[in-house]
Amino acid sequence: MNWSIVGWMAIGLSALMLVIFSLLRKKPDTYSLRRSVSAEGLMKAQTNAIERGQPRLIAIGDQYWSRTYPGLGLHALTALPILADAENIVDGELSVSGGDGSLVVLARQIVQSDYVNGFSMELSNPRVRTILPGPTQLSYSVGLLYELGLQKYGSIALFGNYGPEAILWTEAVQSRGGYVFAAAGSIISQAVLLFNVRDLVIGESVFSTAGLLTSNEVDQTRWMTEDILRVLLILGLIAGVIMRLVGVL
Amino acid sequence: MKKILPGIIALISGILILAGYFFQDRSGGLLVLLINWGILLISVAGLVGIGYLLQMHIHRLFQHKKGRFFSIILLVSFLITLILGFLFSLESAFFRELILNIQIPVETSLLALLAVILFSSSTRLIKTRGWTPLSIGFLCSAMVFLFLDLGFLQTGTGTLAAELIVLIRRLPLAGARGILLGMALGGLIVGLRVLLLLDRPFGEGK
Repeated sequence: MNWSIVGWMAIGLSALMLVIFSLLRKKPDTYSLRRSVSAEGLMKAQTNAIERGQPRLIAIGDQYWSRTYPGLGLHALTALPILADAENIVDGELSVSGGDGSLVVLARQIVQSDYVNGFSMELSNPRVRTILPGPTQLSYSVGLLYELGLQKYGSIALFGNYGPEAILWTEAVQSRGGYVFAAAGSIISQAVLLFNVRDLVIGESVFSTAGLLTSNEVDQTRWMTEDILRVLLILGLIAGVIMRLVGVL
Repeated sequence: MKKILPGIIALISGILILAGYFFQDRSGGLLVLLINWGILLISVAGLVGIGYLLQMHIHRLFQHKKGRFFSIILLVSFLITLILGFLFSLESAFFRELILNIQIPVETSLLALLAVILFSSSTRLIKTRGWTPLSIGFLCSAMVFLFLDLGFLQTGTGTLAAELIVLIRRLPLAGARGILLGMALGGLIVGLRVLLLLDRPFGEGK
């Protein structure tokens, strides 16, 4: 057995569990282990900002694909339809910002698709701004800082791949009374955001953010699969340590 | 059909790339071909994204919106870089020197600003999070590793204390690996959900 086979087994097992649990589809709240104060805080802050007529920003990262964190760009896009719902889209105060051209193009497609699905096939010009403040990591950071200075943002939600520069944006928003939620992926960004973001999601929970924001039966399949995989991983690690101790490995 | 087709294409492409990745010797160049297609599409999307950037600043300029002065700077800089990029190639020492001598000082100043903000934010950890086990643990571990990295603590080689220090110094690495393992699991599930059409961010996938 080599690592390719192990990889296939892990992927195959995960796919199988996702399919089986999706077919079983238990009733909502039968597996409600996940409740997040942070996610609830974001939803409340979004609503408050809408009521006050304040602009809101969803930042989806500066890379669509990175070698260290390959799933983060995709994850930011999967969370986008939940945050860019009909209530959020219509007032024209929502902006989606990314630091990678491809990420921004896909985000614009998602927002437009959401708008068409929510309203009418005839309407295809949502007032949501999808912006690319800069095409590289640092130019994105500078561009976003500038954007944040132009308006008083009510809330900002960080998803996707960032470096430590994310703390500059949170500082810019919080200093003007805005709310910050972060499910930013890289370990460095998680460490620095711990300092000044109260509603912060870290580790594997980052990938569950979409499910935390709106819990439904599809997300329960993910949680069950992830939990089983986690237990299997822990058992595997313990078995590996024991085998190493007794000299088998 | 319009809603199912993108999902089917994603499913087939994903499975082909996975198969090509695991059986590289038997894929017969299929993996390289698909990845090259992907890179091409992503590059085109990247160009469209840069088009959005220019569109936003041109719009801001002509609508006389706040911050149009900086939009002018951006557009002029972009045009100069573009023209020089066409005139000289990326291998040109003059072009690289010109760009890097502007870019590096600007980026360095941003990093300097970041260092100051990081320092000021670190002093507010307790104010942000309160006296929780997480914040206390974070502060204590930061102090311990700062102290260890200063090098004041010297021990003889091969002693129990030296072994202990090596063990403690490896703890952050173990923690980081734990987080990365968790994130790898999360990433795997996100990818599979998109491939199995359980998540469809491109439409009706909420």
